[in-house]
Parts: sequence; structure tokens; C-alpha cells
Amino acid sequence: MTAISLTVNGRRHAAEVEPRTHLADFLREDLLLTGTHLGCEHGVCGACTLMVDGRPVRSCLTFAATCDGAEVQTVEGFGEDPLMTRLRGAFSRHHALQCGFCTPGMLTTAYDIVCRLPEADEARIREELAGNLCRCTGYAGIVAAIADVLADPTPASLQPRERPALRSKDDGEPSTAPVKAPARTAETSFATSLPIPERIDGGVSLERRLALDIAPDRLWALLQDFESVVGCLPGAALETPSGSPDAPVTGSFTVAIGPMRANFRGRALVAYDDARRSGRVRGAGGDPVSRSQGEGEMRFAVEAGQQQKKSVLVVALVYRLKGPLSQFGRPAIVADVVDRLLARFADNLAALAEGRGLVHAAPMSGFGLLYQTMSKSMRTLLAKLRG
Amino acid sequence: MDDSLNDARAKSAQGVGASALRLEDERYLSGRGRFVADIKLPGMLDVAFVRSPLAHARIGAITKPEDGREDVFVAADLAGVKGIRADSGLPGFRSSVQPILAETKVRHVGEAIAACLATSRAKAEDLADAVIVDLEELPAIHEMTTARDAEMPLVHEHWDENVFLETAVDYGFDAAIAGAAAIVKRTYRTSRQCMAPMEGRGVVATWDNQAEQLVVYTATQMPHIVRTGLCECLGLAHEKVRVIPPDVGGGFGYKGILSSEEVFVAFAAMTLRRPVRWIEDRREHLTGNANCREHHYEITGYAAADGTLLAVDCEAIVDSGAYSIYPFSACLEAAQVASILPGPYRMAGYRCRTWSVATNKPAILPYRGVARTGVCFAMELMMDALARELGIEPHAIRAKNLVPPEAMPFTNITGKYFDSGDYPEALRRAVEAIDVPAVRARQKAGERVGVGFSIFCEQGAHGTSVYAGWGIPMVPGAEQASARLTPDGGLELRVGVQSHGQSLETTLAQIAHEQLGVPIARVRLVHGDTALTPYSTGTWGSRCAVMAGGAVAAATARLGERIKTIAGHLLQVPAGEIVFAGGMARTVNGQGEVSLAEIGRLWYLGPQHLPAGAELAGLEVTEAYKPARDTGTFSYACHAVVVSLDAETGSVRLLDYVIVEDAGVMINPMVVDGQVFGGAAQGIGTALYEEMAFDASGQPMAATFADYHLPGAAEIPAIRIQHMESPSPLTRFGQKGIGESGAIGPPAAIANAVNDALADLGVSIGEVPIKPERVLRAIAERKGQGT
Amino acid sequence: MKPAPFDYSAATSSADARQQLVAGGGAAKILAGGQSLGPMLNLRLARPGQLVDLSRAGDLRSVTDEGDTLLYGAALRHAEFEDGDVADATPGWLPAIARGIAYRAVRNRGTIGGSLAHADPAADWVVTLTALGAEVVIAGPDGAKTLPMTDFIRGPLSTALEPADVLTGIRLRKRLPGARWGYWKFAQKAGEFAKASAAVLIDAERGETRIVVGAIERAPIVLDDPQAALADPETVLPLLKRLTAPNPPATLALHAAAVRRACLAATAPKDEDMPS
Repeated sequence: MTAISLTVNGRRHAAEVEPRTHLADFLREDLLLTGTHLGCEHGVCGACTLMVDGRPVRSCLTFAATCDGAEVQTVEGFGEDPLMTRLRGAFSRHHALQCGFCTPGMLTTAYDIVCRLPEADEARIREELAGNLCRCTGYAGIVAAIADVLADPTPASLQPRERPALRSKDDGEPSTAPVKAPARTAETSFATSLPIPERIDGGVSLERRLALDIAPDRLWALLQDFESVVGCLPGAALETPSGSPDAPVTGSFTVAIGPMRANFRGRALVAYDDARRSGRVRGAGGDPVSRSQGEGEMRFAVEAGQQQKKSVLVVALVYRLKGPLSQFGRPAIVADVVDRLLARFADNLAALAEGRGLVHAAPMSGFGLLYQTMSKSMRTLLAKLRG
Repeated sequence: MDDSLNDARAKSAQGVGASALRLEDERYLSGRGRFVADIKLPGMLDVAFVRSPLAHARIGAITKPEDGREDVFVAADLAGVKGIRADSGLPGFRSSVQPILAETKVRHVGEAIAACLATSRAKAEDLADAVIVDLEELPAIHEMTTARDAEMPLVHEHWDENVFLETAVDYGFDAAIAGAAAIVKRTYRTSRQCMAPMEGRGVVATWDNQAEQLVVYTATQMPHIVRTGLCECLGLAHEKVRVIPPDVGGGFGYKGILSSEEVFVAFAAMTLRRPVRWIEDRREHLTGNANCREHHYEITGYAAADGTLLAVDCEAIVDSGAYSIYPFSACLEAAQVASILPGPYRMAGYRCRTWSVATNKPAILPYRGVARTGVCFAMELMMDALARELGIEPHAIRAKNLVPPEAMPFTNITGKYFDSGDYPEALRRAVEAIDVPAVRARQKAGERVGVGFSIFCEQGAHGTSVYAGWGIPMVPGAEQASARLTPDGGLELRVGVQSHGQSLETTLAQIAHEQLGVPIARVRLVHGDTALTPYSTGTWGSRCAVMAGGAVAAATARLGERIKTIAGHLLQVPAGEIVFAGGMARTVNGQGEVSLAEIGRLWYLGPQHLPAGAELAGLEVTEAYKPARDTGTFSYACHAVVVSLDAETGSVRLLDYVIVEDAGVMINPMVVDGQVFGGAAQGIGTALYEEMAFDASGQPMAATFADYHLPGAAEIPAIRIQHMESPSPLTRFGQKGIGESGAIGPPAAIANAVNDALADLGVSIGEVPIKPERVLRAIAERKGQGT
Repeated sequence: MKPAPFDYSAATSSADARQQLVAGGGAAKILAGGQSLGPMLNLRLARPGQLVDLSRAGDLRSVTDEGDTLLYGAALRHAEFEDGDVADATPGWLPAIARGIAYRAVRNRGTIGGSLAHADPAADWVVTLTALGAEVVIAGPDGAKTLPMTDFIRGPLSTALEPADVLTGIRLRKRLPGARWGYWKFAQKAGEFAKASAAVLIDAERGETRIVVGAIERAPIVLDDPQAALADPETVLPLLKRLTAPNPPATLALHAAAVRRACLAATAPKDEDMPS
């Protein structure tokens, strides 16, 4: 728990809050100020908008712990404030509310528009309202109400203020020591034995062709060492090798996309076709924490290069995600991460083939701490590969 | 409230037809509304559900965490609880049972598998994280048009085909098509949407030891139906269950259902004897409850050379999702398609087949406009296609075929009884207001703009005779209302419908004011609470103004008779010579008056002054109301829109938008405008922004409003509304249901305008939402054809 | 949904933040304005063990005039740029850029440094600061280092920041009134993620011309030959085709349109300058 002291609607409050508790929940659940509504908790709908230090903010994206020393004003707290009184009257006269759920956030934004943009015209009002969704009114009454108040302005009594910067203590110690959150450490496993797909329809596919400074025969021989090949895929680790050609290998694969990360554990079937000098890895795995699954197929083939002792490695990947990670709305970002992963895999493979050390060892990440949180076995494996 | 506002309230007229300011505003504007998530009871537990990440899977072992075994519920823990079943009586209907927690299979992403209880939602989610579920994935059905193919897996194993219901109607089709000069066949499609009221669903349940009753606070449009449904699922008698809707933050159909979460929370509160709360979060709403509007049409129009519509032929598929929902069932929407597709037009022949197909998606629910939005889209795009084929203006072909005013009341080809109205006049006004010649001139000057129209009628407040035919579990009958004069002259109204933004606290007070003259500020509406209000099927189908309004009028009229008897006695005139005004009962000659407060005081506290018999005719009455003919009112509207289209980005801008609307007699014109504006904004969302796509494995492709786009203020133009007011002969004041109308017209009008703007490129779009990528793709495909 | 549990501490300075990151042993993550991280925390897609709050670190909240350049503290908020509360290194471009970011309530909390560290390819600062030739200043284990934007952004949501690094500032060269600027983005809805964007800088006095294509789900693309694109914007489409092969033609066309329109904005006669 973190101790905070803040002013809410003019009253001082001292409280102990869990760091993860956002301001809206703190106000609603602890102070019973339920006028602040939660419409999405993703910062898009604006229902939870309220004033912190005289500026409208999203209370679902503001942790209560960050509000130490803040002045918070909720819809309940405006009392007889002349500007808010006029806005309320205008909202009623222009039928700017129906179900009333978006109204507290809408009034807060309206207050900000009126005091910050006295010259705003209808187009500007609409633009400024972009962050407050209303499903009932079609915005007609809301826009009209704000325009009405703007036409005959009332001074705002609530003004922005700057909270002072934190001061460090003289001993140079951090002014606030991190507070330990009680972590739930249950080891979860969502799907223990996902079926390995025969083929993947409708997945994302990528292909890379890599020219290597090595003879095709030697490259093909190297590829037979599956454990080393896996080692070339940053974030991947082989847990149990295959006992027979028909038995799958098991392993894990860690990938991060910005601050999000997943650790997929699963199985894969590996097949080599000596005659064609090609191979295929098909697998599926689940990330128990995000309850997401991935399945994929990687085909690879060794082709002769233009010159002697040179070869081309063709790597083609098809994959598909399921579960919450796949519902992240911008699949192109995921596709790019996978694409860059494949590029690193190819680099590593080239390095391995050419007898150099791995070029990229850490898992793909824009969030560098991942490496530290990887499983011990993976670190050991990476250490071995590097050594 | 500021004084000027109070003055405005006091001065404004208050009866039927007055734009009275809303009585409910003050509490919302000061943050004192009480929504379900605002309820906090001592000892309350919050629920987080473990939901399926897969669209179709067999459930293996479910392992509860060691330290939370008591706090995690799975299907096996719900002893004695029945799943939700909503069968249609129509022949051939295939039945589904929606389990409260998934049993052997999950059938869509987001289906609840386990429920976790803790002292806060965050802790409940921690617990949910620790539940281990083994799922064996099965192939999923994500596409309605192939769901019936022979090789498809079955959503419900005991079925022989993924179809809830197939219907077919044929009204003289073959005979009518002879001599057609133009035949156009088109495929149209509307995407799956999330209704997205700003408040999601939510329920708090507690066991009241004193009343020996389960008390369920739930964000619902139909509290009495939820109560009946809960009783069925939990095996309880009605008197053991009380449902209380708090303030409801929008519904639009999303809360017109008995949800599995309501059943679980009620069960948990009853079993644990502790208050239990579940508040739907936005991710649950978007990924697990994307559930409306997904239709596919193959429609053919036949017209004579002069533009006379001869016949329409249609095959329609509705993606009903995995389960039949209570009470509307899985086939209401498709049944509606077949019966209302002909719209406001006359035609000699009509044929329609529909399929309500099952897929691995959330169950479909009737969203504002229900099937009318899709039907209007298909019909009105086809009308434009016919016009283009015949080389006439789109508004001209409509004018030719609309039911004329002199034909009213008119029974159309599917037997719909249009009660009143002047459809061609609505079109004429819209054409004039939108200025078609100006658009044509801009097009000639090279601007990529377009004009589009849609015209439709909205059957609302339809009752027994219509719903009995659809064979669903809930057939609406008469609506009841209670009215009580208080000892100080105030009025209490009780209705079983539930406002979720419709302004019923104000409009029903206006009706009472019309009858009794009580100032609306002294009228208190109690709505929804099943312990306090008469049974009602609830707020849906644009029925409240007609049905609850009619019931309030009936109850206050009866109450007025009783008050007049007492007033006549006190003022020494016959009761028939008493009139009401300003909270007083007056003699018609104006020479005597007595306040309603005095009459109330006498009946309750001074009965010795009452005339004979008045003591037994109390100042509290309940009356039932139903129009003599319950086939519904037909409000109608014409939408006209001018768009500009950026062919480089594919984006569509709405330059002007006109709605000519006939709601009959408006009880509160300000409220009617609000309904039309709000509905139109939702329709614009359907037309341009809102789509929940699913991938081939049945995964929903958006989990936040950053990916599922609701229109904001910047996306909605300043809409111009014109009213016509042709009274319905069927209803108490001539009012017509209007709540859904705004949401019906925009997709058709906007698509027609976009296609008008793209006409020179030979590009035509038949699918909404018209997202930029859809426009660019259509243009690119056309270019690819080398024309 | 509510976040998974995490520890929290507020940093008094960038040095303090660095110490806390190190002390956090890799589980700690910086919380700047929290407007991008917040939703991911609430969705439990991000589950850091500890957050170190930078929003009130005094040394990250100021602007330093370095003569030819301005150094902006990383914890300055978008709204402070929008409102002109901080000095503008450009002839008025920064407020217009800031105004286009999401919504006002987000701009009141979100910071310029947080936006860069998050590295969303559709983000306004990521694209525009690349075009303005900005440098980021990073405090790391070996002291401060400076990276150009092009080296800092590695890909979507991926930067050169190491686990114990703190992005402390953004350095911008001052632009004289004669410099020209064009920024155009396409978002389907006001305030939403851009689906395409492009920024154009023409600074004849300094001999800098730069065209950057953003929102393309990879690190922003800096065109090699901006003059050619300015001379003939039609050359951009085939170029983008080569550079971002897997994109469907309609998407590529949209990006090309963004470049054309940004070029137009930058080269239009002065009085018709577009604000953004």
C-alpha cells in the first residue's frame, strides 16, 4: 500500500492505496464519490474525466498513488461554482443528456473548453469533445449547450495549477521507497497439450531469403542440429528434444511487444526432407498468463547460391494468434515484430553457419527488462550458446 | 440548478406537446445518479469471470487455485441451476440452451467458464488469473454465408445443420414479375456491431433475510422479464425474487435480455448469503458480447420501365451467433426481415427466404432498429440500383412507389397495417431541404460529392397479434400503470417499463399533467422495481410512449374521475362539471375550486367529509391499456444526406444531413428530437465506423474503443430535423413509437450518397461500415478490372 | 479490468529514477504520463513488477536553451507544448503538433518522453521529431548519451532504451522563420491512431530537408532523396512499395497520399499554411 494525501472537492484526505488502484476506483470505492463513471478503463470514452490540479484528466489512467498532493475535483464537487451552474442549466435546456452516464465527464470537458477556448466555434467544440463519447444524444444538445455558455461567458473559478516537483531528501535516498505489492505467484498453465495443426489457414505469412557464405552441403548438415537452430531464434528455448521423428519437441518462446509480453510454451513437430534439402517445423503453444495461443509453421529450404560455396536459405513462416493477444487491434505491429524476429533468426543462423557467435541473443523486445525475467533454463541455454 | 432554469421550468408548458425540461436532469448533472456499479453493500464480493479465449473448444479439466477453491465456481458448482432457453414456437426451430457457466464446450470467445469472487474486482481478477482451464480447440464457424455448408462443424452437436430457423414467404411473386423492364440483383451486407451503451451491463444481488427474498439490482430494460427468467433458471417462485433496476446508462437493446451473468450473480448471492456484484468491463463487452446487426442479403428488384416497382425477391441470412437469447430468441430478427422488407412501398409480388444461422460468435440481440436497419439498407440500396438502371433520379423512383396518403390506412403486401401518414410528402420535403440540384451542380463542377436518400417506416409498440405469430417466449399484452394521489396533492405513478435514458420520468409526468393538471415537478415516477410496479415486458420496441403513456393516461383518467366525484361534492356541482388546472379541481364556470392537496388530505385523513361511496373508491388506481388495434404505430422518416468523398484516402465526410420525421403527436418534441439525433448518430456509426470483425478462428479483432470506433462529436454533423405530425388513429394521444427510427435510416442514405459520389468511377459499395479501406479497395478493384 | 499488482515509487529526479530502476532489478519500468501504458496495465497485457513514476521529477520538467538548440525535459506534457507554456524551437509548429495528439485529457498527463519511449509508430511525436532531426538524451549506466531519433526508434513499440536507461530529454535545433514544415495525418476519427502520416521539413538556411513517413507499423521511414519526392511526389508510391513490401496496395496509396499532402502543406504559399 502507498500512503497518499490529497484534496478531493476541497476536503483533505489521507489514505493508503494499492499502487494499482486508479483514481476513479479510489474515489468510487473508498470515498464513495460515485459521480465519476467508468465507461471503458482504456482512456478512450472519457466518462471518467475529472479535474486534477485544475485540468481535465482520465481518472482511469491516473493511479491514485500518483495523486499525492493533488487537488481533485469531481462532478460532485462543483457546488455553486458559477460556470458549472451555467453549464448544468444549458445542458438541461438543450437536452444534452439522456441516460446521464457520460454526463460527469462531459461537463468536465465542457468546463475546460469554456475556460480555455473562449473563441471556440462549433467545429472546435466538436473537435475538443472527441475524447468524450456519448451514445444517447448524438452530441447535438451537448454542442449547443457549450456554444450557448460560450456566447455569454462566466469566469471559471477553477484554475490550473502546477503541483511542485518532488524534492529529494538530503541523504540522497529516493524520497519514496518502492512498496511491495502482494503478488499472486500461482504457476498457471492454460493449455497443456495444444494440438499441432496440420496446416494454418488464414494466418499471417512472411518469407525471407538469406544469402550465406557457406556451401549448401554444410548448411544442410548444420540444420540437422535442431537444438542449435532453435538457439538462433531469440527468445526460444528447447526443453525436451524429440525422441523419435514422430514425437514432438517441447519448448518455450518469449516475445515482447512494447510493454506487453508473452511466454508461449508448447510443442512442435520437426521434419527434414533430405532429398529436397528442406524442412518443416509445425507447432502450437499457449501463454498461460495472457490466455493466448499461437500456432505456426516454418518451412525452410537450402538452395545453391549463385557461386560455389554459397547458399541461399529460404525461410517461410505462417502463424496465427488466438486469445487476448490476437484481439489487440493492430495486427500489423505484431506482424512487424515477427518479421524482425525472423530477420534476427536468419542473421543468427548465418552466424552459426559461418562459425561466428550469435548476433542477437536476447528475445525480441522493446522492453529490455525481459531478459532478466526469462526462465533460468533459457538463460543457461543462452549462456551456453554464447560461450 | 440556477434560478433562471427553475423559472424556465416553472413557466414552460407541461402537458402533451410541451418541450418540458427533464425532471431527471438535476441528479445526473450533479453526479447523483445511482447506477448499478455505484451500489456498495456491506460484505459485498466482486466477480471476475474466466472467459474463453477460443471460439469453439471442448473443455477438459478446470483446476482451481489451492488457496481459492471456495471462491471459484464452475458449471459443476451450480447445482440446480438451469441454463437459459428461449425457443420459438415456429415450426422447425432448433433449440439451444445457454449454460450459465460453460459445461462441456465453449461456443464463442468470451463465454464464461468460471466465476471468481473476491473483496475487490482487482483481487477477483487475480484469482481468475490462477484458474487453469484445459481447452481442446474445435474448428470454429465464423462466417454466416458458409455456416450451412455440409462439411461445417456443428455449433450444437445435436443439430443436423447450423440453423436456428428457416422461413419462407411468397406473396404472388411469380405473377408479378412478368413485364419487368429492369431487374437488378445485388448482394448487401451489414457488419457485426457492439451496441456499446456507455454503461455496460452490471448486476448486484443480495439476499434479504427479512423479506426472505433475493434482491437483484441490475442494469436492465426489462426487470419483470428478468425476474421471470431468474425464477425459471433458479427454480424460485416469483415472490422470492425482487428485481430493482437502478439508473440505467443506456441500453439500445443490449440490456433487453436475461444474461447468464445475472443468473450467476443471483445464484451466488443466494448461496453465499452475501451481496455479490459483477460489473461488465469494456473488454468483456467488446470481445464477448459483440452481438447485433450482422445480416447478408441477396436481393432482386423488378421494375417496369416507368419505375413502378413490380416485385422484390430476397434471400436473407442473419448471423444469430451461438445461442438463442431470452426472451427474444434467435429468430426474431430474421422473422422481422421477412415481414418488413417491403418497407413503405407498394408492390404486387414479394418473396423472401430467411435463415437464422448459428455461428461461434456471441448470441445476437435486437439492437435499436432491430432488423429494420438492415432491411432498409438492402431495400433502399436496391431502389437506387433500380433508379440507376432506369436512368432516373433516386428520389423519383421512390416517389413513384411510396404508399400515398390517400391510401391510408394501408395494408401492405405482408399484411402490415400502416396507420397513417404522408410518405411522399416526407420525401418531397427532404428532397427540397437537401437541394438535389445544388449537389448535381457541384458534381458537374468536378467535386466528388454525392446525395443519398432512405425512406422507411418503423413499426413500433406492436403487441400481442404480432408477437404471437413469431412464437417467442414473451408475447406482450396490455400495459399497466398505477396512479396515486398523495395526501398533499402530489402524484405517484408506477410503471413496469424501465427508463434507460428515454426521459420517461418527464414524459409520463407530462401525460399525467395533461389529465390531472398536477405540476410535473409534483409527479414522481416509480419505474422498474418489480416489488412496486405492475408487471410489464419492459422498455423495447419503441413502445413506451404508446403503451406506458396510454396506461398512465388510463390510470390518471380513472383517478381523475374519483377526484372529480369528491371535488363535485365539495363544490356542490356535478362531477362532470369539474376540470383540472394547476393542481386544482375547478368548476367549469370558474366559480369554485379546491386543491388536489385538500382532496388528498380529506381522503386519507379526513374521510368524514367525503361523499357516500368515495371512501371505497380510493385515490390509487391501476389500469391496463392496449390500443383497440395492436398491430403497432408506423412512424416514418426520410433521411437525406450529402457526402464528400476523398478518393485518395477513402474517407467520407457528411456535409449535410436532413431528417424529415413523423412521430405522430409528440408528447415532448425536445425529447423526440433527442431520440432522433441519438439514433441517427448510432446509425452513422453503423454506416461509417462500427465493425467487430472476427478472424477465421472466430477471434474478435478489437478489444478497446481505440479499435472499435464509436462516432464522436467530430464525426457527427449538425443534423437538421423537420417534423410532420400526422396523429396515429390507434393511440391515446395520436403518438407513435419513435425511439429507434433515427438508427434505421443512416446506413442506407449514406451508402446511397457514397455510391452517388462514386458513380462516375463505376464503383458501388454494398457493405457497411464504409471504412476508408473498404472504399479504397472497391476503387482499386474497379481499376483492376481495367474500366 | 484492473491491473495486476505492481510496486510503485515516485522519482525525484532522473538520477533517482535510474537508481530505482537498478534497484528494481529489471522488474521496474518507467511510468511517465501513463496514457499508453495505462490501458495495457488495465488490460493486464503489461505486468511490470514495479513502476517508477517520473511525472514529478524536477529536472525532467524544464527546458534548457543551449544556444543553437533547446533541450526539452522528457516529462513535459503534450498540453504544455500545445498551450505554448514551453519555449518553441520552431516557428510555431510544436503547439499544432501537440494539439493533434489524442484528446485534451490525455495531453494533460501524457509526456513527450513517454510518447517516444513507447514508440508507437503512429504517434505524432515519433514521426514529427524524426522529421525535425531531434536527438534524444538518455541517462544510462555509463552516463548520458545522445542518439538521433532514427537510431532511437527501432521498430513498433521498440527503442534503443536498455533496462536501466532513462530517457531524460529531447534536443531540437532552433528553426528560423524561413523554415517550412508540413505534417499531415490520416485518422478515421478525431483523436484516434493515425493510419497514415507524413512530415516534411524544409530548412534552406540550415540545408536540411527531410521527409518522414509514419504510421506504417515499423520505424518511421526517412526518405533518402527528399528533394526528388518534393519535385515529383508521384515517385513516392513506387518507393514505398519497395520499402514496405507486405502492405496491400490501398494502404500504400494512403501513405503516398500522406506524403503528397505533407509536401503540399510545406510548400504551399505561406498564408495558406496548414496548422497540422
